[in-house]
Amino acid sequence: MPLDLAVDAHGLVKTYPGGRGQPDVRALDGLDLAVPAGTVHGLLGPNGAGKSTTTKVLTTLARAAEGTARVAGFDVARDAAAVRRRIGYVSQGTGADGLLTPRENLAMAARLRGASRADATARARELVDRFGLGEAADRRTTCLSGGTRRKLDVALGLVDRPQVLFLDEPTTGLDPEARASMWAEIRRLAGEDALTVVLTTHYLEEADRLADAVSIVDQGRVVVAGSPDELKSTLAGDTLTVELVEPDADAVRSAAARVAGLDDAVVHVEGPTGRLVARTPDGSAVVAAVIAALRDAGVRHGAVAVSRPTLDDVYLRHAGRSWTAADATSKEAAR
Amino acid sequence: MSTATLDRTTAPAPTTARDASWPAQVAHVSWRWFVNLLRQPWGLGVAIVQPVIWIVLFGNVFSAVGDLPGFGGADYLTFLVPGIVMMTVLYSGAWAGTGFIDDIRSGVMDRLLSSPVHRSALVTGQLVQQLAVSLVQGVCVIGIGWLAGARYDGGLVGMAVALGVSLLLAAAFCSLSAAVALLARDQTALIGISTIIVLPATFVSTALMPPALLPSWVETAARYNPLTWATEAARTAMSTDVDWGLVGTRSLWLAVLAALVAWWSVHAMHAYQRSL
Repeated sequence: MPLDLAVDAHGLVKTYPGGRGQPDVRALDGLDLAVPAGTVHGLLGPNGAGKSTTTKVLTTLARAAEGTARVAGFDVARDAAAVRRRIGYVSQGTGADGLLTPRENLAMAARLRGASRADATARARELVDRFGLGEAADRRTTCLSGGTRRKLDVALGLVDRPQVLFLDEPTTGLDPEARASMWAEIRRLAGEDALTVVLTTHYLEEADRLADAVSIVDQGRVVVAGSPDELKSTLAGDTLTVELVEPDADAVRSAAARVAGLDDAVVHVEGPTGRLVARTPDGSAVVAAVIAALRDAGVRHGAVAVSRPTLDDVYLRHAGRSWTAADATSKEAAR
Repeated sequence: MSTATLDRTTAPAPTTARDASWPAQVAHVSWRWFVNLLRQPWGLGVAIVQPVIWIVLFGNVFSAVGDLPGFGGADYLTFLVPGIVMMTVLYSGAWAGTGFIDDIRSGVMDRLLSSPVHRSALVTGQLVQQLAVSLVQGVCVIGIGWLAGARYDGGLVGMAVALGVSLLLAAAFCSLSAAVALLARDQTALIGISTIIVLPATFVSTALMPPALLPSWVETAARYNPLTWATEAARTAMSTDVDWGLVGTRSLWLAVLAALVAWWSVHAMHAYQRSL
């Protein structure tokens, strides 16, 4: 059975005038994207990578100079009206009118999309309950906390029960508590039937936690795509770390050498404690063997940890530079 | 292609069976701007107080104009009221575009443009609210003028015609402000451009002075000023001896102008989207 794609984009190109004699900025440079229906897809990349531009093209706001994109089965350029009926878009800014209450904002959004007064009121009530807006629902939106406002933005995106929801940087600027709460909300959305979520973020952790699949975007194209685990497993194995107590470095080294599947073992000794760090294709498989070998050699040890490569490592490998460096460069460029 | 896109027939339908009609969209958009207006009592207060100040100020400062030989012996305040009605409309209309700039900055515009809402409904909905404000302002100016001693021989018909003409002028200027806002997307630019247009337009017109008292080049320039068209149509409509030909031609010119600028503002909305 063929896979249903909620988003299917090929070779998107978008340029913006550079201005003042500067060359044009190529925001998208042949970007491809395929998002199966009902999944959460993360567009991950540093600032200025082209994530937001991709979202604008897919939500019919911006037009690509080249390439084609279908969203919910319709072409974004030729059938924009049909796409707009089937999507929700939560932009980086707020989508809400600050002088209206959340309830009024939700009802107006529903009515603009053709709901009757009664249906709009009912839908607003439903979303207010669902997002736990509670008494904030009848206060002016400008008076709400950042986290509550962001929830309202997402609720506004869901007013017309879209098939595809686009979230552009949903947690940027939120405090850790509000971010955790937003993550829980997005996970809940992802569990709903037939809702596809396309999420842009420059937080590696966010993509790792929420997305079924991730496309890493850099300089207007997707450099690599796959599930977070798949991507991380393309890097050679895990890192195994064992805390040691009063270690005999040679004994530890020879014990480590006896364990199959453990490479690049390094022993650090710092006074009474030390650390064994090694690479392994599959950390969980060697943990028991390492512990047994250390015990046989009479080496006392503390915590044993296996760490998976992070998406940061993946980004470094595919984009050829580290995340923080890329973010810093784009901030520089923006200046 | 190895994969199929979503089958249209099996895709779940949105909540709403079909889009809201154009008039319904206009009504919802203007409702939003009305609520916005009422929740900013300062803006509403200024919109009413400003024309009052003008009547008092110009009525007193220029009251001697009525005694000048070129004026023809009429009461200056009665002469002034139609001019102040049109000036009021011009000055509040110049601000009409600020709402769009706020929407562009906040992100509301992007949400609206990615939903199935007509671009022309977004522009028209805001215009409806602006016209309602202009109408209230016009009624206030006429009322305050009457309390201050101005008399309108044209009666209720004359006043209604004057208000109608003021709405045509308002439609043209609000649309102009909206178009500039959508093209410039910058508050400072909008205020700058508005000031450059509005202030000379006020003085190069017959809103405050009869043509006979204007320098000849100003009098010539004033003939092409929409503010002059509106003021003269309203002035004759509110007088004893109504020149319906003047009312008709000036209203027609204003209507054509308003239609052209309104079309331009919708075009500007599309231009904004193309810039994204």
